[in-house]
Amino acid sequence: MTEHKTATRDEWLAARLELLQAEKELTRHSDEVARQRRELPWVRVGKTYRLDTESGAATLADLFRGRSQLLVYHFMLDPDWDEGCPSCSSIADGFDETYLHLQNHDVAFTAVSRAPLEKLLAYRNRMGWSFPWASSYGSDFNYDFHVTIDPSVAPVEYNYRNQAQLEEADVAWRDWSGEQPGMSAFALEDGVVYHTYSAYSRGLDGLWPMWQWLDRAPLGRNEGDMSWFHRHDEYKAAAAEAT
Amino acid sequence: MTSHQIGTREQWFAASAELLQREKELTRMGDELARQRRELPWVPVEKQYTLQTADGDGTLADLFDGRSQLVVYHFMFGPDWDGGCPSCSSTADSFNGVLAHLSARDVTMICVSRAPLDKLLAYRERMGWDFTWASSYDSDFNSDFGVSAAQGITHDPVAATTGANELALLKLLEEQPAIGESLPLVTTQNAAATGTNLEGYFSEGHGVSTFARENGTVYHCYSSYARGTEFLMGYYAILDRAPKGRDEGDQPMGWLRRRDEYHSQRRDGADHD
Repeated sequence: MTEHKTATRDEWLAARLELLQAEKELTRHSDEVARQRRELPWVRVGKTYRLDTESGAATLADLFRGRSQLLVYHFMLDPDWDEGCPSCSSIADGFDETYLHLQNHDVAFTAVSRAPLEKLLAYRNRMGWSFPWASSYGSDFNYDFHVTIDPSVAPVEYNYRNQAQLEEADVAWRDWSGEQPGMSAFALEDGVVYHTYSAYSRGLDGLWPMWQWLDRAPLGRNEGDMSWFHRHDEYKAAAAEAT
Repeated sequence: MTSHQIGTREQWFAASAELLQREKELTRMGDELARQRRELPWVPVEKQYTLQTADGDGTLADLFDGRSQLVVYHFMFGPDWDGGCPSCSSTADSFNGVLAHLSARDVTMICVSRAPLDKLLAYRERMGWDFTWASSYDSDFNSDFGVSAAQGITHDPVAATTGANELALLKLLEEQPAIGESLPLVTTQNAAATGTNLEGYFSEGHGVSTFARENGTVYHCYSSYARGTEFLMGYYAILDRAPKGRDEGDQPMGWLRRRDEYHSQRRDGADHD
């Protein structure tokens, strides 16, 4: 037997239908927040960023590749790192095939990281992904969109908080610098690129399918100390080490 | 110039910081709902279901593959269909890459459909997926979990409130055939793409069911249908952050195709990737 509460099918159904009302409310709330996102004013991107892509140097406008919208996943890969961030990697496991649907719906999708392009492509090859990945090495792009924190380059800002507010929330932000996760959205109209939206931190939760699935699993996220979590190609070795 | 409202960086920041509060509320609502899901009572599964997999016949308990939790995606693929449902296929594109992480956290995630196993495996190979796909052909599994009108039309009032929306549409179509004219484009499109008609297409439903196994007993924990499965359609989470949103007009999902069928659909010719 289990220690979890058990029930008859009818009792379960009554509880489930009640929960369904709450789930529908969440869905409608989420639709409403999505509507509010579309109402944000757009900001003209005045600077010309030069990024490295597989087809050569590209401006932000080039990355739209004929579409009217561009979504950027700010993938954490510092120039000094040999591998991408494991959490970003598990997010990429979700969008790797999904981006193909987006690019057929007027939305271009690309990951951008600060490491040089050859590092990005080598890591993408190792992980078996195919999404477009551009390098912002030597560009202000990561700093301007607040996913590389370096007070010597730009005033600290992350998730709409400044240095003082960040420190107030978590003292670990004192003297901190480096890569942070995020996503940014852009629109292209009449040759002008506009920045429309950026999300950081848990604002990415909805894009992280692993957690969305676990939120429906009997034991939930069940995060523990996270020692179970690895890049998708590292689990076999981790399991062998554990036994 | 764009017809959209343009702002300064400061105006945008103020609006975004305000929106962030709404987003945080949404995240907390989601966390609270996840907690409530874990509080649902579990129901012992008394019936023995035998499903077919590439590794042979297996019971529901076998499908846990040694883990304590089993998550089933009810993938729409009827026995007579030529291929899997395109919408379910786009959903599978979003989760196929994620399964290693779920396995690592004691969760086995599989797909179950009513088409015979050889059809499922051929389609899986075509689409390049590697998840376990079990066939519930000849089993009550799909109808018991509200995703197949296996023995003709279901008029079971319980199934109508907890089952797949497709089965409710089938019932409606039976009662009012004229409604077939006004259904969303995606339904006729998907019926054609799977080699069936509207009645055939609505005989199968999509959904998610979760199970737990403790001391040899399998429990049913949770099932969700219709928009309750939107969380696993990764493109919607992303589009909900795009400048134009889902941008579907009055035809939800009308733009979705199987991902290997887009090439013939391209209109703009502007694509080189």
